[in-house]
Amino acid sequence: MVAVAARPVRTGAPGWTAAATVAPASIVVTIGIVLPIVILFRYSLNQYTPAKMMVDAFTIENYAKFLTDPFYLAVLFRTIRVAALCTAICLVLAFPMAYCLARTRSRFKNLLLMAVILPLFVGNAVRAAGWMVLFGNRGFVNSILMGLGITREPLQIMYTEFAVVVGVIAVNLPFVVLTLQAVLEGIDRAIEEAALGLGAGPWRTFRHVILPLAMPGVIAGTILSFILAMNAYATPVLLGGPTFQMMGPTVYNQFAGLSNWPFGAAMAFVLMTATLLLTVASNWLAQGRYRRPMARPIKLKFE
Amino acid sequence: MEKHSSEITRRRLMKAAGALAGVAAIGGWSPAEAQAGGRVVLGTWGGDYSKLLSKNIDTPLMVPKKYEVVHDIGGDPERRAKMRAEARLPRGTSDVQGLSAAQMYEMNEAGLCLPIDYAKIPNAQYLLPQMRYPYGLGHIYSGKVILYNPKLITTPPTSFADALDSRHGNKLGIIDIQYQFTMMAAALASGGSMTNYEPGKERLMACRKAGARILPTNEAMAQALQNEEVGICIMWKARAVQWQKAGAKVETVAPKEGIPLYISGFVIPKNAPNKDGAHVWLNEMLQPSAQEAFAEDMGYNGSITNAKIPAETEKRIGFNADERKRLIDLDYGYLAKNDAALKEWWDKTFKG
Repeated sequence: MVAVAARPVRTGAPGWTAAATVAPASIVVTIGIVLPIVILFRYSLNQYTPAKMMVDAFTIENYAKFLTDPFYLAVLFRTIRVAALCTAICLVLAFPMAYCLARTRSRFKNLLLMAVILPLFVGNAVRAAGWMVLFGNRGFVNSILMGLGITREPLQIMYTEFAVVVGVIAVNLPFVVLTLQAVLEGIDRAIEEAALGLGAGPWRTFRHVILPLAMPGVIAGTILSFILAMNAYATPVLLGGPTFQMMGPTVYNQFAGLSNWPFGAAMAFVLMTATLLLTVASNWLAQGRYRRPMARPIKLKFE
Repeated sequence: MEKHSSEITRRRLMKAAGALAGVAAIGGWSPAEAQAGGRVVLGTWGGDYSKLLSKNIDTPLMVPKKYEVVHDIGGDPERRAKMRAEARLPRGTSDVQGLSAAQMYEMNEAGLCLPIDYAKIPNAQYLLPQMRYPYGLGHIYSGKVILYNPKLITTPPTSFADALDSRHGNKLGIIDIQYQFTMMAAALASGGSMTNYEPGKERLMACRKAGARILPTNEAMAQALQNEEVGICIMWKARAVQWQKAGAKVETVAPKEGIPLYISGFVIPKNAPNKDGAHVWLNEMLQPSAQEAFAEDMGYNGSITNAKIPAETEKRIGFNADERKRLIDLDYGYLAKNDAALKEWWDKTFKG
């Protein structure tokens, strides 16, 4: 048996203790995130010339160029479309999986959780390389299809939107499953049993009981998946190829390929702003949608 | 329980020496090599090129001179971005940077290159004049040729006009990262010149509409040729030699419009910490032994006149007298001035 001695509670200077606790993370965030973002924003207001690359200025011409050029707008909308599609598919696929994980009483539960986490041990680029092996013209999928006589010519899967969507879903799915599973674990099983006992079918129980209660997880999973997909880089480069252009690789190309830092910085800010606005909007919509029925008073009739 | 004390005993000293030897063995560092001439940080592409620089220059030629050579490996876009980002610093992080001739010109125009002190590079007396720049030195060169698979392309092409033709449909392959040379070749095939790429755009658009495949990298093209997904493309002769060695069934043709030169070389950043070491490295790079080994290992022609390349290798990687007359250098000024616009057209119109 271990004896635990009571320690006197320290009462002196709680403000200093709090400051000391928060300071390291704050310093890292300031130096590692805020400062580069401020510098990047300043760059986005500079001008680009082929000879000098970046000339100090204070202009919004880089933002205007992006917002008035149909090509760049198409890249942005394509990115939003892919991110929204991947997020929706991730939610649909992740919810049943997360529910099973949350409700199972199997002794293999930890193993199942490890199986979900396992893909996160492998980097995005490596996973994309795996998909390349599968999707190539002489890859696994085409070999099977041609071997079975389903197709005569190899299907063009690589360098298409389909390949990118599959690749991004594979990256994001574990994050969404784990987020949902954590929230579903916290929902008391008795509430579901009560709904079923009162005559609600499984679908009504899901729609009116489980889903509203799981909404914090759904929102968190949506935000996480959407942000990851909007900013995806390795997957669109490796599976989308040169012709399927998304924002992440296009921003990088402006910096590294063309050395156009002012325009690259402006594009980065447009991407950041679009991601933020869409995330806030979806969060607001989802919360609004599920707050109303929950807040509505229930009329009880006693006879 | 083990006692802890701060005494230095014989056993502890032996343990520390053993650990130091272990670290040295793992890291490839040895106190004996430490560095009368200091450390030279070399910015270079990775893969075979970096390995061959180590094998043919760093280890046999620099280490005996008591230099430690460290490779800062990365693609040229990243390394150029780094040079720009470090421009305002009094001391940069690299001493030599490997770039193409067009990129060397661009970096010099941006005011980032140290003028080369040729008095410190005695081996430069044998350097080909085309590869001697005030701001850098050529290391290896090759030329843009046509590669085709005779099984898929039954009429052998003779020109860029034959190669970049919409009749090849999806058997024509185009490498995304080679946009400058592709636009240049299309221009030469369509009445353009090294200072006017505009006439080639229509030809490229016709090829794209006919289904030409755009592949992201040289390696992806090698695979597509090997798989026979692509039957014809344009590429450096040196790469063609490597791919033939790897089993790709491709023939090469020197285009009759001219053979655009690809020169790869090195510059010294203005704020290089070890400028003397950088000059020593450049001098060793021009040693005949290093250049001969590079020609044999990598299939690129060397940039000096006193290397003894075996006749068989010369035949395989080089150009005959007639072809040598058709080697054409790029207009680096035109490229530097128009690269952003060319790339924008490539991304937005050609690929878009």
